[in-house]
Amino acid sequence: MTEFLDLEAQDGVRMPWNVVPGTRQEAAGCVVPVSAVYTPLRPFPSMPVLPYSPLRCRNCRSVLNPFSIVDFAAKIWICPLCFQRNHFPPHYASISDDNLPAELFPQYTTIEYASPDDRPSAVPPVFMFVVDTCLIEEELGFLKSALLRAIELLPENSLIGLITFGTLVHVHELGFGQISKTYVFKGSKEVNKEQLLEQMSFFVKKPRPTTGVIAGVRDGLDAESIARFLVPASECEFALNSVLDELQKDPWPVASDQRAMRCTSTALSVAAGLLGACVPGSGARIMAFIGGPSTEGQGAIVSKSLSEPIRSHKDLDKDSVPHYHKAVKFYEGLSKQLVNQGHVLDLFACALDQVGVAELKVAVERTGGLVVLAESFGHSVFKDSLKRVFQSGEYDLGLSSNGIFEINCSKDIKVQGIIGPCASLEKKGPLCSDTVVGQGNTTAWKLCGLDKATSLCLIFDIVKKESPDATIQSTSNQFYFQFLTYYQHNSGQMRLRVTTLSRRWVAGPGSVQDLVAGFDQEAAAVVMARQVSFKMESEADFDPIRWLDRALIQLCTRFGDYQKDSPSTFSLSPRLSIFPQFIFHLRRSQFVQVFNNSPDETAYFRMILNRENVVNSVVMIQPSLISYSFHSGPEPAFLDVAAIAADRILLLDSYFTVVIFHGATIAQWRKAGYHNQPEHQAFAQLLQAPRDDADTIIKERFPVPRLVVCDQHGSQARFLLAKLNPSATYNSEAPVPGGDVIFTDDVSFEVFLDHLQRLAVQ
Amino acid sequence: LESKSLPRPLDGDVEPKSFAEMFPMNCHSRFLRLTTSAIPNSQSLVSRWHLPLGAVVCPLAESPDGEEVPIVNFASTGIIRCRRCRTYVNPYVTFAEAGRKWRCNICSLLNEVPGDYFAHLDAVGRRIDLDQRPELTKGSVEFVAPTEYMVRPPMPPLYFFLIDVSISAVRSGMVQVVAQTIKSCLDNLPGFPRTQIGFITFDSTIHFYNLKSSLTQPQMMVVSDLDDIFIPLPDDLLVNLSESREVVETFLDSLPSMFENNLNVESAFGPALKAAFMVMSQLGGKLLIFQNTLPSLGVGRLKLRGDDVRVYGTDKEYTLRVPEDPFYKQMAADFSKYQIGVNIYAFNEKYGDIASLGTLAKYTGGQVYYYPSFQSNIHREKLRHELARDLTRETAWESVMRVRCGKGIRFTSYHGNFMLRSTDLLALPAVDCDKAYAMQLSLEDTLLTTQTVYFQVALLYTASCGERRIRVHTAAAPTVTDLGEMYRQADTGAIISLFSRLAIEKTLTHKLEDARSAVQLRIVKALREYRNLYAVQHRLGGRLIYPESLKFLPLYGLALCKSTVLRGGYADVPLDERSAAGFTMMALPVKKLLKLLYPNLIRLDEYLTKGSYLDDELKNAIKRLPLTAESLDSRGLYLFDDGFRFIIWFGRMLSPDISKNLLGQDFAADLSRNQVNFTELNHEMSKRLFALLKKLRETDPSYYQLCHLVRQGEQPREGFLLLANLVEDQMSGTNG
Ligand SMILES: [Zn+2]
Ligand SMILES: [Zn+2]
Repeated sequence: MTEFLDLEAQDGVRMPWNVVPGTRQEAAGCVVPVSAVYTPLRPFPSMPVLPYSPLRCRNCRSVLNPFSIVDFAAKIWICPLCFQRNHFPPHYASISDDNLPAELFPQYTTIEYASPDDRPSAVPPVFMFVVDTCLIEEELGFLKSALLRAIELLPENSLIGLITFGTLVHVHELGFGQISKTYVFKGSKEVNKEQLLEQMSFFVKKPRPTTGVIAGVRDGLDAESIARFLVPASECEFALNSVLDELQKDPWPVASDQRAMRCTSTALSVAAGLLGACVPGSGARIMAFIGGPSTEGQGAIVSKSLSEPIRSHKDLDKDSVPHYHKAVKFYEGLSKQLVNQGHVLDLFACALDQVGVAELKVAVERTGGLVVLAESFGHSVFKDSLKRVFQSGEYDLGLSSNGIFEINCSKDIKVQGIIGPCASLEKKGPLCSDTVVGQGNTTAWKLCGLDKATSLCLIFDIVKKESPDATIQSTSNQFYFQFLTYYQHNSGQMRLRVTTLSRRWVAGPGSVQDLVAGFDQEAAAVVMARQVSFKMESEADFDPIRWLDRALIQLCTRFGDYQKDSPSTFSLSPRLSIFPQFIFHLRRSQFVQVFNNSPDETAYFRMILNRENVVNSVVMIQPSLISYSFHSGPEPAFLDVAAIAADRILLLDSYFTVVIFHGATIAQWRKAGYHNQPEHQAFAQLLQAPRDDADTIIKERFPVPRLVVCDQHGSQARFLLAKLNPSATYNSEAPVPGGDVIFTDDVSFEVFLDHLQRLAVQ
Repeated sequence: LESKSLPRPLDGDVEPKSFAEMFPMNCHSRFLRLTTSAIPNSQSLVSRWHLPLGAVVCPLAESPDGEEVPIVNFASTGIIRCRRCRTYVNPYVTFAEAGRKWRCNICSLLNEVPGDYFAHLDAVGRRIDLDQRPELTKGSVEFVAPTEYMVRPPMPPLYFFLIDVSISAVRSGMVQVVAQTIKSCLDNLPGFPRTQIGFITFDSTIHFYNLKSSLTQPQMMVVSDLDDIFIPLPDDLLVNLSESREVVETFLDSLPSMFENNLNVESAFGPALKAAFMVMSQLGGKLLIFQNTLPSLGVGRLKLRGDDVRVYGTDKEYTLRVPEDPFYKQMAADFSKYQIGVNIYAFNEKYGDIASLGTLAKYTGGQVYYYPSFQSNIHREKLRHELARDLTRETAWESVMRVRCGKGIRFTSYHGNFMLRSTDLLALPAVDCDKAYAMQLSLEDTLLTTQTVYFQVALLYTASCGERRIRVHTAAAPTVTDLGEMYRQADTGAIISLFSRLAIEKTLTHKLEDARSAVQLRIVKALREYRNLYAVQHRLGGRLIYPESLKFLPLYGLALCKSTVLRGGYADVPLDERSAAGFTMMALPVKKLLKLLYPNLIRLDEYLTKGSYLDDELKNAIKRLPLTAESLDSRGLYLFDDGFRFIIWFGRMLSPDISKNLLGQDFAADLSRNQVNFTELNHEMSKRLFALLKKLRETDPSYYQLCHLVRQGEQPREGFLLLANLVEDQMSGTNG
């Protein structure tokens, strides 16, 4: 395991197969695809940033890298991806074995270029707040104070815009300076960019440019007009504060049998139109704060009548949801527009009801937006997450913008696509596989928004045919991958990060051992999770359990040690041994068992899964459990109901929720207040230890997880029990040591493994 | 007609006395004037009368102190009205059967006297409680209306402002003056503490203002989808003034600066109007429109008209004087239906199509104020005064008016600014003391058998205090069989009022010339008829003779033909000015109209040099002079006052001392520029002049007379400012 973590620490990449099945046939037998989870902007403190432009292969345009073969005498380098011989340009004349440029250092397989020509972008970061006002007073109060706090953290030079909406859309002219002024649009009516500019008086001072698309100052839009709506944070604090101070809840009356008129999609469309006109191509984020279901406009998810319930997974399954497809279609359109403009949609959805995250997902995900789902704007999940977005320092998110991701590979590898927060740039080429997954059919992707954590899952195809004669050159025993990420660093500078990977490939008989040795089961589980989520969303009548089970059985059949038809002889190499457990938990996870959640929650979980790195994703699939007791220090515990004990504290991290669970005795003592008595210092420390560990987790994570502190037999205990292996259910015969049973009909892991062994050896 | 030989109305309007003498319980003539107090008893008399037969009603005319209209509250009794014809109880009803019955003076029905209203009769059949019953002794009385007279709770006084803030509106200073004036009037708007207020401003977009009382400052909301106007807020666009006073003041304080850099040249007036309608339609009220730029965007957009010279003088010319787009009339109908009265303040520098805009005021009982090429440094005071009067004068809300008359006669047509709701019901969403209405009578039967006919004006309205009231004016007039008596009892003022309204209406369907000749023809016919009556007996041959009552009729008729509305040809008066004058004259009470037609011309220099403030001396000093150039002595200083403006004429030979005392050091400078700075100087003479002007303005506060200075011989200013208005002279009006 550690070597995979080391590789990740060098390049930000985790691959299920670190020894690559070398042929199409071989790869097909491996079940888990050749793939990589790549974190393009993972920070590497020691990584150099080269102040010059990269050298590129004149054939395949890949960038000079440590795997290139260099002939110092001839001043020639051979591209490892296409074997093209390239001459070094004159300014590389002095290179030698002892005088290597950094990009050829073997340890700098990941390196950045900051071309000196790229002056920091003239346009500072732009934040367009889109705020729902169809809220009860209390929620509006929470939201206002959260926004007021956030505003204080905004970079001085950033440009701020504000849109509030409910029945109508109000675009605030923050630069007006006299009284609060808004431009108002009907919630039910689509406004295109042209109409928007016309209606917001953009052409009063400076006439409409006669030709071309109007986009930004360069294309003839009046800078003064733009400055009315996008105002530097340093200048608009007063205006923004007073607008927020006096922000009223949507004043239109709502009948008792009706939902509020909430035109979320129209508001977002206006925001996108405005940014598209004013600051196209520069890093801008629409930050939407939504407190309820959209009932008006193209993106409405439910009718105004309360007698119509908001769609559930069942409804979606039956395809009986009138609004859903229309809304998704609208947001697909919006996402295309935002991707073209290079702008991000961030979603902060805080309501007890669903607000339409499932419909909005496409726009958030394709633009690389952030998403936070909470029950209330007063909840710490929202408040602390929002703070994190703007916080600088150790835990800053490293928000970057305007990314373009490109890929180059050895010729026997093709790309099926990326499952993750990005959008295809539809750059087709020989590298594209016929099979398409996620955003595919391209070798370039747009990442409007990306940050330190953004992790893409790339799925490859091995197309090399099985060849009977093994007269292949030793150099070509390696596959090379090169990932190029252009992005606007949060300093405003344009950067190019280059990661070049080399992986050995194997084929034919005897390759199994090599493949197993290179198998990263965590990465494999994460790739399977993203794949199964994707398929559930995109394939009708897809049966995820069946698909996962078959994959697992095939994998075990291929890589397990056993005698045919003898389940008891079955064993797995340590490289593979926890994989069945991951799949077991994945089958029970929120990604697969969607019926326990609302479509909004599912969409939320999947969006986070699709942007997180391997370690965090594993926690989502299989939560971690730590046990604290007087008998020993903190130790990992099996995710099993057996971990519960009266004299233990458990710390469960299921990524979205962190649970501190006090065993019955501990809970009793705590209630009695022993920890406040000087003679019970040790107890106080025991209580404190999981709190400290939870704090550490919460501090590093975005979105900030929900913290649940509960006691055994308390109602909140369900947050723990739901995640535990039901080794003891009400069906079990044997009494359970901890005294807890789980009310579930799910099979336990033992039963599952049993079945697996039986099927694998057949 | 040789005008110089005609008697001149140098004493202004002389109300006929016979009316009140014959029937002392009649309402005062300030409320109701008949064109003749002798009602013809036959159709044949009517046809030989030639002049209009009708009345001019000013239901809310201001009464001098001590003559206020008494308020009567019948409370539980209910208002006493005739069961059949709905006439209100009045001094001309008679009581019978020992006071248990009363006979309607209009339809003669014998009605029961309700128990609560019963009173014994004295020996001559009069009720013994007569001295406590103003409704039985006074021609004018106001009843407090019970709930049966309401279709909804009485509305609060409501003022809504629709203000043009396009570049020209702002640059002219109009916006600033309007904002300041409204603010200065806030304490005096009628109806405290129920008064409601709201604002919309517009250029190419519509700006609404949230004035919710809890806000620290107003919130502006711009709606610019002109094809699909909607209101951005369900409440708080119209607010209770006393609750939102601070927000309203903040708004008015910041309004001028909010738009001081506005470069918008467009006017989405039509959509803005619809927006105002949407906000107001729930309550009704008064809509004051401040309009500077020709409506250019959205519904109701108007175009430059009248630049096609080929139309001038043809049968098509009148089309320029009527609205082109039916939008305005339709809006006016909607406004009227929802109890909204519209006043237009127009400030256009160029053509503003007052003909179209004025329609809004015309059908909603409103008024048109026109300030061509408004510049605040010149017109500020005029606008300030007139707007302040508009805002603070007592106003009757959501009113309807009906005039009843006795059997055998009937009102057949109504003339003025209103909308007719049924055949005889005038809808007047907001009405005040400055509005008068004219109507024509006809005989239904061939012969009237009664000795007396009765008229009763009833105005049902909501007072600013929130009370629903009925103001009732009752008058009686004798029927006559003698044409001569009709002429002798004629009221020139009422006749001219009716003539003016008829002539203005005629200009909307005919050439100006036709409208003028119709007036002239009727006057000539009437005088010929009168002469024929007496020619034989007086042997007067071809000489013009007229009864005392009609002695000023020829000159007023002449003046009417030379007035702004009828004067000359198309090009003699700018189109907008003619339209504006038309709308104004349609609403003017008799006295104001007569003054406008035959203005006061007085010599000032002698009065100014004499030096005394005594009132009776003033009266002597301001002797009115004939409106002819011969009245002007080039050594003199003259004041021309038509009730709407002052023109001060400096004779060529006027003592430079006087000029200097009045104008200061640069007295020799161009007077058109000097007018801007024409202010009171620290000099006895200047003070006297300004005191006089102030006094003159106070006697007639409905409009503000702005001073225009002109020097003798200074052309063309002297021509259009003064000479054109010397109605007795040939040169005033080409076709006069
Ligand atoms: Zn190459
Ligand atoms: Zn009657």
